[in-house]
Amino acid sequence: MTSQEAALDLREASRLRWRQYAVTAGRIGLVALLLGAWKLGADIAGPLYAADPLEVLERIVADTLSGSLLHHIYVTLRLSAIGFAIGCACGVALPFLLRRLPRLTIAVEPYIMASVGVPKYALVPLFILWFGIDDAPKLWLVGLLVFYPVFIAVFAGIRNVDRRLIAMARVVGASEAAISREVIWNSLLPFFLAALKIALPRAVSAAIIGEFLVGNEGLGYMIESSRNNFDTTGVFTGIVVATALVLVINTALVRIDRRLNAWRPTDRHMGL
Amino acid sequence: MAAPPLLEVRDLSKRFATRAGRDPSSWVIQGLSFAVSDGEFLTIIGPSGSGKTTLLNMLAQIDTASGGEVRFQSEAAPIDDPKGLNPGLSCKIGYVTQEDNLLPWRTTLQNVLFPLMVQRRLNDETRERAQMLIRAVGLAGFENHYPHELSGGMKKRASLIRTLVYDPPVILMDEPFGALDAQTRAQLQDDLLRLWSLGRKTIIFVTHDIAEAIALGDRTLVLSRPPASIAGEHNNPIPRPRDIAGIMTHPEFAALYQSIRAQVQ
Repeated sequence: MTSQEAALDLREASRLRWRQYAVTAGRIGLVALLLGAWKLGADIAGPLYAADPLEVLERIVADTLSGSLLHHIYVTLRLSAIGFAIGCACGVALPFLLRRLPRLTIAVEPYIMASVGVPKYALVPLFILWFGIDDAPKLWLVGLLVFYPVFIAVFAGIRNVDRRLIAMARVVGASEAAISREVIWNSLLPFFLAALKIALPRAVSAAIIGEFLVGNEGLGYMIESSRNNFDTTGVFTGIVVATALVLVINTALVRIDRRLNAWRPTDRHMGL
Repeated sequence: MAAPPLLEVRDLSKRFATRAGRDPSSWVIQGLSFAVSDGEFLTIIGPSGSGKTTLLNMLAQIDTASGGEVRFQSEAAPIDDPKGLNPGLSCKIGYVTQEDNLLPWRTTLQNVLFPLMVQRRLNDETRERAQMLIRAVGLAGFENHYPHELSGGMKKRASLIRTLVYDPPVILMDEPFGALDAQTRAQLQDDLLRLWSLGRKTIIFVTHDIAEAIALGDRTLVLSRPPASIAGEHNNPIPRPRDIAGIMTHPEFAALYQSIRAQVQ
C-alpha cells in the first residue's frame, strides 16, 4: 500500500467515524426534542390531561424505592413470560406436527387462517367466564396473541425450506428428527426471529391489557387504577415503564438475532 | 458365470406426476437398461434435458421410478411408491449433486462432518479422516469459513468430500464440475481420480462434456434424447493412471471422442 492510499484509507475511516458521531448526536437531540415537546404539551394541557415528565421521573424513583413498582413489573413480566412461552411453544410445535400430516394440514389450514381474524381482545369476557379471574384468562389472551404470528411465520418458514437440502440430509443418513432439528429449524430461524419481533412486545401489551380488565396487580392494573383516581402522573408513569420494558426486551432480541445470524452475509450496519 | 452386477437398471421408465392445469408429462426416460460392476468408474453422457439428473435421483432413491427395475446388491427399489423410498440406501450410495447443497449456516468443517454427525460416527478417527480430505482437496485454512465465503470451486470440493468422508461404497455424481472454469475443473478431476484410486469405489459420473467422460471413466454410456435410453456404450482403452491435462493428446482419445460425439445429439 502506498502512503497516498494509506492516507486515503485514513481519511475514509475518520469520515465514517464522524458520521457515526453525527448519528448519535442526532439521536440524542431527537430525544431531547421529544422530551421538550412533552414538557411543553404538559404545561399547555394541564396536569389533568398530561403529566409533567419531571414528575413522572420523580414518581418512578419514589415507586421504585417503595418497591411497589418493581412488584408490578415483576407481575406483568411473569404473566408475559408464561403466556409467551405457552403461545410460542404451540406456535412452533404445531407447524412441525402438521409437516408430518400433509392431509390434515390441507384440512385445517383454512380454519386456522380464518381464526387469525377473530379479535382476541374481544374474547377476554369469554375467557373470564370460562377460566375465572386469576391468571388463566390473561394467559389465554397473551398466549393467543403470541401464537398467531409465531405459527404463521414458522408455517411459512417450513414451506420455504430448500427441498434439496432435505434430500441431501436424507441421503447422508439423517433421521427425520435430525432433519427437523438441523435443516428445517435453521432454515426457518430468520422467519421465527422476525415473528418474535412482533410477538414479544405483543406479549407485554396483552398482559397489560389483561391486567386492565382483571386482577389487582401488574403495570396494567397500576395504569388503570391511577386513571380511576385521576392520577395522570401515575398513568404516564405506567406507560413509560411499560415502554422501557418493551425496549429492553427488543434490545435483547436484537442481540440474540445478531448472534444466531452471525454466519449470514448481510451488512451488519443495516441491522434494525 | 460372473457375479451379479452391483447395480442393475432394467427397462426403467419415468414420467412426472401431472399437475392441475398442465398437460400430462411425457416420458422422460423409457426402456433404459444398464449394469454397473463393483469398483467401476462409469461415466454417463447425454444432452441437457435428457433425464440424467432424474436417473441419478432414482438410483439414489430420492425419486421413484414409474416402471422397470432398479436393483442394488440384488435388492429391488420400490417402483411408483415415493413413501417406500430409502434415500441413499442406508448410506450405501453417496450423491454429489449438481448444486453443492452445503448448509449455509455451517462452516466448511461442520458441513463435511455433517454426515458423520447424523450417522453418529463422529470420533477421533473419522475427524482425522475429514481433516485429511480437507487437506487433500486444498481446503486447509478454510475450515471455519461459511459457504458464502468460499469460491464456487471450493464449495464443490467441500460437497465432494462431504460425500467421501463417510465412505459410501457407491458414489453418484451429477455434473459436479459443470459450472467451473477449465483449470479448476482439471484440478478437481485430478483430485477425484486420485481419491478414487485410493479407495476404489464404484462411481457413476454424469456429465455433458465428452472429454470429461473420457478422461474419467472406465466405460461411457451415451443417453439418447428424451425419452432417454442408452444410445451407445464405449469401453475406454486409455490406461490408468491418466494424465488429465494431456488426455487429449493420447492416441486413443480422438477415435473415442469421435464415436461418442456421433451418438450425442
